[in-house]
Amino acid sequence: MSEQGLRLHPIIIVENTIRTAIGLLVLIFVAGVPLDIPILAAIAAVALVVLLVFYYRQWKLTFVRFGETDIVVERKTLFKLKKTIPYSRIASVNLNRGVLNRLSGTSKLMVNINSGHNAVRPEASLTFEQHLADRFRNDMSRHIYRGEMPSFEETEQMVRFTTMDVILHGLFSVSTQQTIIGGFFLLNSIVDQYRITVGEADAGPGGTFISLLLFFIFLVLPAVRHMIYYYGFKVHRQGDTIFLEHGLIRTYKTSFRISRINAIRVKNTLASRLLRRSSIEAEVVGIGSDDGSGTTRPLISLLANDAKTQSLLQELVPEFIYERQAEKQPAGARRVLITEGVIASAILIAVAAYPSLLAYDAFSGTGDGIIGALLPYAIPIVTALVVAAIAYSVSVSLKVREVDTGEELFTFVNGILDREAVIMSYDNVQMVHVVRGPLARHFDVSSAQVFLLSSMGKSMISSGLFPEDRLEKIGNIVMERAAAMKH
Amino acid sequence: MDMETSEPTGAETDSYRRLNRKCMLSMYITNGITYTILLAAFILLLIFVPALRESTFSIVTILAAAGMVLLLVYFIVGPRIYYDRYRYMITADKVDVRYGIIILRHILVPIERVHQVEVSRGPVNNMLGLANVNITTAGGVATISYLEIDEAEKIVERLTELINSMLRDRE
Repeated sequence: MSEQGLRLHPIIIVENTIRTAIGLLVLIFVAGVPLDIPILAAIAAVALVVLLVFYYRQWKLTFVRFGETDIVVERKTLFKLKKTIPYSRIASVNLNRGVLNRLSGTSKLMVNINSGHNAVRPEASLTFEQHLADRFRNDMSRHIYRGEMPSFEETEQMVRFTTMDVILHGLFSVSTQQTIIGGFFLLNSIVDQYRITVGEADAGPGGTFISLLLFFIFLVLPAVRHMIYYYGFKVHRQGDTIFLEHGLIRTYKTSFRISRINAIRVKNTLASRLLRRSSIEAEVVGIGSDDGSGTTRPLISLLANDAKTQSLLQELVPEFIYERQAEKQPAGARRVLITEGVIASAILIAVAAYPSLLAYDAFSGTGDGIIGALLPYAIPIVTALVVAAIAYSVSVSLKVREVDTGEELFTFVNGILDREAVIMSYDNVQMVHVVRGPLARHFDVSSAQVFLLSSMGKSMISSGLFPEDRLEKIGNIVMERAAAMKH
Repeated sequence: MDMETSEPTGAETDSYRRLNRKCMLSMYITNGITYTILLAAFILLLIFVPALRESTFSIVTILAAAGMVLLLVYFIVGPRIYYDRYRYMITADKVDVRYGIIILRHILVPIERVHQVEVSRGPVNNMLGLANVNITTAGGVATISYLEIDEAEKIVERLTELINSMLRDRE
């Protein structure tokens, strides 16, 4: 290492050039600039050379120094940068390997600090040869965890998920709303194709194709993305650290300490609930990755049956288990929800009445397929569906929403179609709002909003409607525990 | 809601405190400016978009006009209710704010979680000698609004002192 520090691996010149070139191409395509092929090729060649020179210079003048107390990243280009990251502020150091990394034998070291600001992106993303990246990660971990941190390979793997688990997770973890929309477009494309095949309708300009494309966008792509992202999912806990490893094209090795978990979410979609499967997410600060694939809120369990989920909770995060005494929403909440539902439905019907007549006149006898047949009645149908959804959500909300306040942890259970139980520690709550609208005041209930530091920066978790003193208790416990910790 | 209130005596209190009455004037001026801009936009739309005056869109125009009337009522009545309901309290352990016009909110912020405190003043508040105190935690920002500048400065000073002493204790 020179006095100035270490240079990153030159593969980042290629990586940055490709990324910017793709961005420019998309921009030219979206802007619809009419250019001849030779001119376009000449511009592309010049742009490529300029980008390569730019990123070469940036690589040449960027240095990293691993000190005793901090990491310093210094860029001596026109836009100078000197970033000092103290080890004491680092929340996690993770490794990512994309296709280019695999081809060049490198790894990307992602350094995240424990901050809500810029939480979804790492504070520094440093590419080195794989053995160097592993060594730096271990060295940094020694500073962060004040001791040797075991590598992924050395530790005993606690839970293994099969490829079938990954496929089931991909298929059934897509939100129910997306599944319904995707399913509708698939059905529409099938009916369209049938009508074209039997000669009932002419092949329109890409009608079937567009429906099929929307089905892919809403349903297939997210499912496939989840399968690729979580392929080979492994999770284990050693000491106070949780290790995650997954990924098919880009591999992810993530680790974080239990103390960094602000909440645990046990989630299920409508489809996964029918299969009696739930997944577990951890709300952890400082594990952002800048590749943009998948969620940055780490899953510590893919969709698994209830018994496995409970056992994983026990093994991985026993700190978030306590004896729950859940409380359903009281009668006041029922009155509020029903009154709100009736008012919302009445307003919706009143607003939709006149446009429904106009739409019927405008679209009668036009279009093919399900969409074509339903278009004249679209507004009344959508209104009826929304009213039915309101009624359903009121009824389900009364059955599902719960609050539970333990001594160290508390839980909100929420959701209509897709449900989640969020288990939070009082000690990680940043702020509590107790909110009462006019109807809630009349029926003597309130809702609470709890603000936490999260993987996405910050997150707000709302409760259902409960007596005010029940929710004020959360704020009071937070205050008591914060005061006790201070003294 | 029964709450003990007292006149301002310092930045830290054990009882809820109320805002200065000037907060209503600040809100009336801000609301007046906002309403004038919205009304002008509405009238200009009616003048320059003839379709809005046709029978097809009459229902939209009527609804928009009704919305403007409701907004006017809200802008006139709101400041008084806001002033009557606003209470805040700062103790050694927490910041506690209660406010709201239609929806009532009770905000609790443990001093332990406060990262940053700042005073902000818009042009109207500046003219009236008022300021807001923004209390930033890692999970969001809580604001104590329409404080007299001296009071706001005292609160910031006190909160900064509390945070610093807390950080010193940790070291």
